[in-house]
Amino acid sequence: MSTALDQLNNAEDVAIVRTSNRKWRARKKQFMPWLFISPYLALFLLFTLFPLLFTVYLSFHAWNPVAGLANMEFVGFNNYAQELTSPWFWKAVYNTVWLAVTTGIPQHVIAIPIAYLLVTAFKGTLRHFYTATMFVPFITSTVAVSLIFYSIYSGNTGILNQWLLALSGVPVIGALFAWVPDAMPIRWLSKSDLIKPSIAFVVIWKYTGFNIVIYSAGFLTVSKDLYDAAKVDGCNAWQQFWHVALPMIRPFIFFALTLTIIGNLQLFEEPFVLTSGDSGGVAQSGLTISYYLYLIGWEWLEMGAAAAVSLLLFIIIAAATSLHFYFNGKKGLEGNR
Amino acid sequence: MRRTLPNISLHVVMIIGVLITIFPFVWVAIMGTHSRSDIFSSPPPFYFGDNLLVNYEKLLDVMPFWTVLFNSLFVSVMGTAGAVFFCSMCAYGFFAYDFRGKNIVFGVMIASMMVPPILTIIPSFLTIKFLGILDTHFALWFPGIANAFGIFLIRQYMVNSITRDLLDAAKVDGASDFRIYWSVVLPLIKPALATLAIVMFIGLWNNFLAPLILISTPDKYVLTLALRSVQSVANSPWGAIMLGTFLSMVPLLLAFMFFSKQMMAGLTAGAVKG
Amino acid sequence: MKKILLAAAASVALLTAPAMAGDIRFDGFPDFNSHLDKLIPSYAAKHPDTKITYQMNDHGDHHKKLTTNLATGSGAGDVVVVDVSFIGSFINAGGFENLSGSEYGADALEAGFVGYAWNQGKGSDGNQYGIPIDIGPGVMYYRRDVLESVGGGIDGVITDWDSYIEYGKKLKEKKVFLIADAADVAKTIVLTTVKNGDGYYFDKDGNSLITSERFVKAFEIAKRIRDEGLDGQIGAWTNEWYDGFKKGTVATQLSGAWLLGHLQNWMAPDTKGKWGVSNLPNGIFGSWGGSFLAIPKQAKNKKEAWEFIKYLTSTEEAQVAGLKNIGAFPVLKATYTDAAFDEPLEFLAGQKARQLFAQVAQKVPAVAPRKGDLIAEDVVLNGALAEVLNDGKDIMAALKDAEALVKRRVK
Repeated sequence: MSTALDQLNNAEDVAIVRTSNRKWRARKKQFMPWLFISPYLALFLLFTLFPLLFTVYLSFHAWNPVAGLANMEFVGFNNYAQELTSPWFWKAVYNTVWLAVTTGIPQHVIAIPIAYLLVTAFKGTLRHFYTATMFVPFITSTVAVSLIFYSIYSGNTGILNQWLLALSGVPVIGALFAWVPDAMPIRWLSKSDLIKPSIAFVVIWKYTGFNIVIYSAGFLTVSKDLYDAAKVDGCNAWQQFWHVALPMIRPFIFFALTLTIIGNLQLFEEPFVLTSGDSGGVAQSGLTISYYLYLIGWEWLEMGAAAAVSLLLFIIIAAATSLHFYFNGKKGLEGNR
Repeated sequence: MRRTLPNISLHVVMIIGVLITIFPFVWVAIMGTHSRSDIFSSPPPFYFGDNLLVNYEKLLDVMPFWTVLFNSLFVSVMGTAGAVFFCSMCAYGFFAYDFRGKNIVFGVMIASMMVPPILTIIPSFLTIKFLGILDTHFALWFPGIANAFGIFLIRQYMVNSITRDLLDAAKVDGASDFRIYWSVVLPLIKPALATLAIVMFIGLWNNFLAPLILISTPDKYVLTLALRSVQSVANSPWGAIMLGTFLSMVPLLLAFMFFSKQMMAGLTAGAVKG
Repeated sequence: MKKILLAAAASVALLTAPAMAGDIRFDGFPDFNSHLDKLIPSYAAKHPDTKITYQMNDHGDHHKKLTTNLATGSGAGDVVVVDVSFIGSFINAGGFENLSGSEYGADALEAGFVGYAWNQGKGSDGNQYGIPIDIGPGVMYYRRDVLESVGGGIDGVITDWDSYIEYGKKLKEKKVFLIADAADVAKTIVLTTVKNGDGYYFDKDGNSLITSERFVKAFEIAKRIRDEGLDGQIGAWTNEWYDGFKKGTVATQLSGAWLLGHLQNWMAPDTKGKWGVSNLPNGIFGSWGGSFLAIPKQAKNKKEAWEFIKYLTSTEEAQVAGLKNIGAFPVLKATYTDAAFDEPLEFLAGQKARQLFAQVAQKVPAVAPRKGDLIAEDVVLNGALAEVLNDGKDIMAALKDAEALVKRRVK
């Protein structure tokens, strides 16, 4: 990379001498953006491209990693064929999409209004305090998260079950929870139909704060003149939010959604720790695609098949992101300019 | 935003939110003051215990805690500083210019975020080894200083807060490209830089996989690795680990406070675009 | 591409600085560090030229890192620990030194070791690649006070699985669970009743055994326990699990010898004198866990590494120290006559339990690991079993599905 840049530089030097000022400017104009994005290009070529090509190469081979690099065996499309007909792969696809949707939407539906309130309705220390606490889940280490939620979800003595029981004893709203005593103990992490919702809650809990921060940055770009103008036009608080603020932060919504799509489809840690890394929990209800490829690659030592799954996941994410870009990209990328 | 005190219901919503989000943090703090037996009683205690000093001594006994904390700090600060500079630079390239191949490069960049990281461990190790930077902190922060996430974020912020007119005006004044980026654009996107700094700092601080594979000298361990390395399913000094976990979250919270102040400062400075 | 990779790997190997002549690094997981901390000083006194350092990682992380090191041919320590669950797939892949070779001569040590564990460290070519360092002879832990409250002796409970379940029914009236998780029973039966010459999941010729009688019966017994409401449905290593041990709401636990140390040190220290150990029900013998030491081919100081491995595994001094330091049960038979084995253990109400552990260790049948064991374990003993017990799936249907899944991957 550096040599390529040097050559370009040399070319420029020569150009300065030989060509007229105007031509040089045109050249420079072409060259300038590449100079600005060159750090990314350099690091991409250095650190991202090779792992990517390696994975593609690997996906056509059978490879037990502990046997070393020299022991790959070419198998053509076998890995792909094997995974595309594997029941666990499709279970994982279903779980991944289920979790992506049910955790993705609430993250934003909660984060946007809260970020708006934080930016517009609170000031000073109080705003600071609220923002910081909302962000705490995102910085809590996974080990702590898994320990804590294990305790919360545990069947016999978990806090969640104890609260539900307590609620069922409260007058009036108790009727809503009348089913609770009969259902006890509810085993949140070891019944196949409860695993996904239990995981989903943790994911929403953890990542909403992250989105709040992104959206806060977004709402900060909205000028107060706009709100003032809206007030003069007779907009109430809701209309200010809906018609003034929301359209203005479109690029941020677009950005945050992109991240959510990519991140949620790669979901790994939360399902992994909440099912104790135990082949995806009962009936693989918590098995996501990333989890599955981890299992194949690092537990079963079939790196080739894992590479194939990883590329299939890549294709799924790329498809979802492309749809998102297709429908929302114009306004999302260009904003209101 | 000249507003009177927000009404009570808002506070109620916020306080419920705070309770839901903060209690694991408090819980970790609480567990850091208990012995292992107490932590694993059922239900676990929700009050402070008296084992804090014992846990602290144990923590210092099982790992050079302050050394690894400093290592984490070093890696996170370097990576964050680098990212703020290089990501904004690249973002400016994507934002301010139209050039042939831009969409392709941008597309590839977004696509590079989609590669599941779990499988690239082995080739990444090979790359780092090839470059001869195994077992260095450099290998932990350098590869991420111009990353797709940051570039994308800052570009989006620029779209919202910087007008073409402004760039054109600067050009008419005869400012060089780099000067426009440095003196005109950067000051206007401080909130975005602060946001990126928050996310980068946390990402680097909590990074575990890369240190596990790349770092082999215990003195170069970072916090995540050190805390994980003393755990086993059966026999770990959990009180000390919880205390260490709590202490490791404190710098993150401080960093967050610092950067979020910078971010919110954008508000009082007045928004830039109407 | 492969060639480029190899060239890259080779060129970097030249760049890395050579280690000092006698420096060796030990890669493992906790609690080996507590053990090494005590052993290294005395070893170093006798071997002044050897400097030993160690690198510990969490159990799963250690194996992930080791996998990466073996895959890329660099970064591994001189001595590495391999858990028994990984030993089968690791030693046959060619990344470790053949310790049966003349420069090591491991075969001469065989007679001193517990047979089944020694065999687990053998590759399919008959050579030794891993040397066992500790084992987990399987026993049943039981609460003496709970047993007394029901009446009868422990021998009446462990006669066979029927008597074990009968005991559970009596316990149910007292609101005490027979066992934390019925799945443990099924796993125990599956792993301990392997026919001679078979593997755990595949026979000699690689045919699947997953739908065989052994699995069906094991699943049936576990399901009976679950359906009768005799188990607590409590996962291992959770707060509820420890709680059951503390409060005596769980009467038995099938596990390895090493559980004793955990029970008495931190899980339930206040229950001293209330526990006992016995053979597993139905006269079976099995093991829970175990670790092996190996030398990666990429190691820099193999000679010193081997000396250290020999010291750790085949000297009574180090093996007994392991028992005392971290409760790692010795694999060296000569230690079983050590005075430590005659000690009555207060936690177990004065029972001389280590003798029982030693007897069990020598009766555990050897089962050779086979390709596909890791997959089959996940699919059958984690996947299918949980579906049968928690979701009520039909046993034969679950086993057939599991077998189909395993067969697809293991050819």
